[in-house]
Amino acid sequence: MRKVMKIKQTWHGLSLCASLSLGLVGLGLTASPSQAADKIVVGMAIASSGFMTAYDQPAAQAAKIKIDEINAAGGLMGRQIEVVEADTKSDQAEGAKAGLAVLDKGADLVIVSCDYDFGSPAALAAQQRGKISFFLCAESIKAGIQGVGPYSFSASILAAVQGATMMEWAYHKKKARTFYQLKDTWTEYNKGICDGFDWMESTGSLKDAKIVGKDTFKNDDPSISAQISRIKALAKEPDAIQLCTMMPGAPSAIKQIRAAGINSMILNGSGVDGNYWINAVPNLTNFFVPVQGSVYGDDPNKAIEQFNQNFAKKYGARPVTQYTYPGYVLIELWAKAVTRAKSVDSKPVVAELEKMKNEPTLFGPRSFSAQLHHQNQGLYLIAEITGGKGKIVDRWQISKPIPLDALLKK
Amino acid sequence: MLRRIFSPPLPPLPPLSPMPPLPPLPPLPRLPRRRAEWMNLAVPLLLIVALLVLAAFGQILGGPFERTVIEAMIRVILVMGLAIFIGNSGIVSFGHTGFMLVAAYAAAWLTMPPMMKSLALPGLPPFLAEAEYGFLTSLVASSLLAGVVGLVVGLILMRLSGIAASIASFAFLAMMYAIYANWDRVTGATSSIVGIPTYSTVWNSSLLAGLAILVAYFYGRSRFGLALRATRDEPHAAAASGISLYWQRVLAFILSSFICGIAGVSYAHFLGVLNPGAFYLDLTFIALSMLVIGGRSSLCGGVVGVIALSGFIQILRWGEQGVSWGQTTLHLPNGVQEIVIGIIMVLSLIFRPQGLIAHDPVWGQKKLPPKAKHGR
Repeated sequence: MRKVMKIKQTWHGLSLCASLSLGLVGLGLTASPSQAADKIVVGMAIASSGFMTAYDQPAAQAAKIKIDEINAAGGLMGRQIEVVEADTKSDQAEGAKAGLAVLDKGADLVIVSCDYDFGSPAALAAQQRGKISFFLCAESIKAGIQGVGPYSFSASILAAVQGATMMEWAYHKKKARTFYQLKDTWTEYNKGICDGFDWMESTGSLKDAKIVGKDTFKNDDPSISAQISRIKALAKEPDAIQLCTMMPGAPSAIKQIRAAGINSMILNGSGVDGNYWINAVPNLTNFFVPVQGSVYGDDPNKAIEQFNQNFAKKYGARPVTQYTYPGYVLIELWAKAVTRAKSVDSKPVVAELEKMKNEPTLFGPRSFSAQLHHQNQGLYLIAEITGGKGKIVDRWQISKPIPLDALLKK
Repeated sequence: MLRRIFSPPLPPLPPLSPMPPLPPLPPLPRLPRRRAEWMNLAVPLLLIVALLVLAAFGQILGGPFERTVIEAMIRVILVMGLAIFIGNSGIVSFGHTGFMLVAAYAAAWLTMPPMMKSLALPGLPPFLAEAEYGFLTSLVASSLLAGVVGLVVGLILMRLSGIAASIASFAFLAMMYAIYANWDRVTGATSSIVGIPTYSTVWNSSLLAGLAILVAYFYGRSRFGLALRATRDEPHAAAASGISLYWQRVLAFILSSFICGIAGVSYAHFLGVLNPGAFYLDLTFIALSMLVIGGRSSLCGGVVGVIALSGFIQILRWGEQGVSWGQTTLHLPNGVQEIVIGIIMVLSLIFRPQGLIAHDPVWGQKKLPPKAKHGR
């Protein structure tokens, strides 16, 4: 009996020691060595596990294509660019750690997650160390000076520009006069698109355009029948429905609208670009989204199709959505600024970036200013989905940039 | 009849025979000396020293390791808060991360620069919108707010018995999440709010963790802690001894919500970014696993649970990222972490239901003499 007790006690002691030492070793794993300094280091604090991976990886792969191109051409100022990565695990606390991890490895530029909510902890870490951060594809005004600080930029175009672009284009090219707004209140991005529609109406430049009604829903609402019956109750079917939503709820909402016999054209932001979801709404027609480049193989710019093919060659599949492209753009812009500043130090590079006015890139012109590190105007291709297939039908740039006050809702 | 009443007096009793003298008593076994109170204090003090050593390592190594240490300290505070209530009352509460949420947002309201508040949180009342307090004010005021919410919620929830109270505490968590995720003018709804000053360092978070350990210790030793444990082990006997089950539970609930509030404030000032999703199911289950695997009714258990599990999670995440072994890279499939933690939890409940450390070690006390065979 005594012996059994003794063995049991030893066993307990052992398991305790084992778990404690395992814990301490695990904690120690986060400590890591730093790197040599003769290279330019680009740090990627992005998700390689968790749900954000689907957004971060394609854009990061596009960035690596641009980095490979620069390295093959002799590097940046004669120095090779090296990429170091840390996984944010689609978690905010881990995001801050990932930011610090790449900074400790000597990152001169920190590329952070696509989404503002998940990229900001790493961007804040970079800001505190005085390093430049770039959001891969965030489209909220907060991803930049307003939400992080003066060293933070975003590589994509504001969501509000997408809404404004679609409304102005539909007015001029499709003669749409009455609009009905259906907003999914889940994310900042969705709200941003609808802000764009609202701003475009408020400018008065589209004289007889009118938003005849507004309604909201939530991304995970299983049914939006109440909202649909309010659209059906209108005296006349609106010319266009301004839908401000994104994945994963978008197909369900679109399917319900069409199933209710509403055939108005539907305008959305870039968040629903791509072919991968169209099977969920068979024979979808009269549906339009703005895109920075075409993944459908019909981009008017041959260089973009060439990029798609390079991407497919390198990674085994073509880009699925237009959110792949901002990664390429950001390296292109940053490399230009570094070359002009003849330095990788944050201050001169930020100054060069802020001087950029309609700087040409593979995916259209980009501008930054000391007030805004984001695009409040942008050249978009208009993609139409007809009979369940996507194709590029037009291109459009809003007639004037959206002012900062409207973006900040002052 | 009358005869019986007026019967003649009874004859006198014969004198008592003298008692034989009692045999002398056997000598009493020597009772173990009562431990001095400071001896008991050795456990929490050693734990605090251990945490400070870990903090020193964090400071020296810096970078991500420092962040991991701070995060672990914050979890120690949270788990201590949980232990005060769960360990002593025996009721599992799923709602305590809700108090962390309340305090973290309060800290943001108090400390963010007014300019950023006007942008992100336009619905704040003027006295908050124009305020910009320091760390200490934020710490005290926000944790107190969590305590007050704990009082209100505790008064309602503690009327329920065991499992019903657990379920209701879960409902409380879901409710707090729903409120904070939708009150967009005051909490920024589901979008993150940034600009919270990052005051948390390894030192202040480890000191706060030490404070939480001391509070848990002194509460456990106090008459209130004893009374609550009595209601856990023998509710009827405790009630018969005049202990109010309801008020003892309410008291522990308030104290633990206050401590969880401290964890929330530290977390807000650690990350600098807040989002209601950070204080929901994931954190709740991780914290509860730490407490259960470590040991519910001991101080050491809570701390060991946090360290062991934090490290273990780190190892699994490292495995998920891939480990290079010569030419090949070994990958664990994503999501293994959650599954393995679940398995550990089940194994721990089967083989060590009391956790890794069921009771805090005792020093300075001689072993009691072995029990007699026939026993009770």
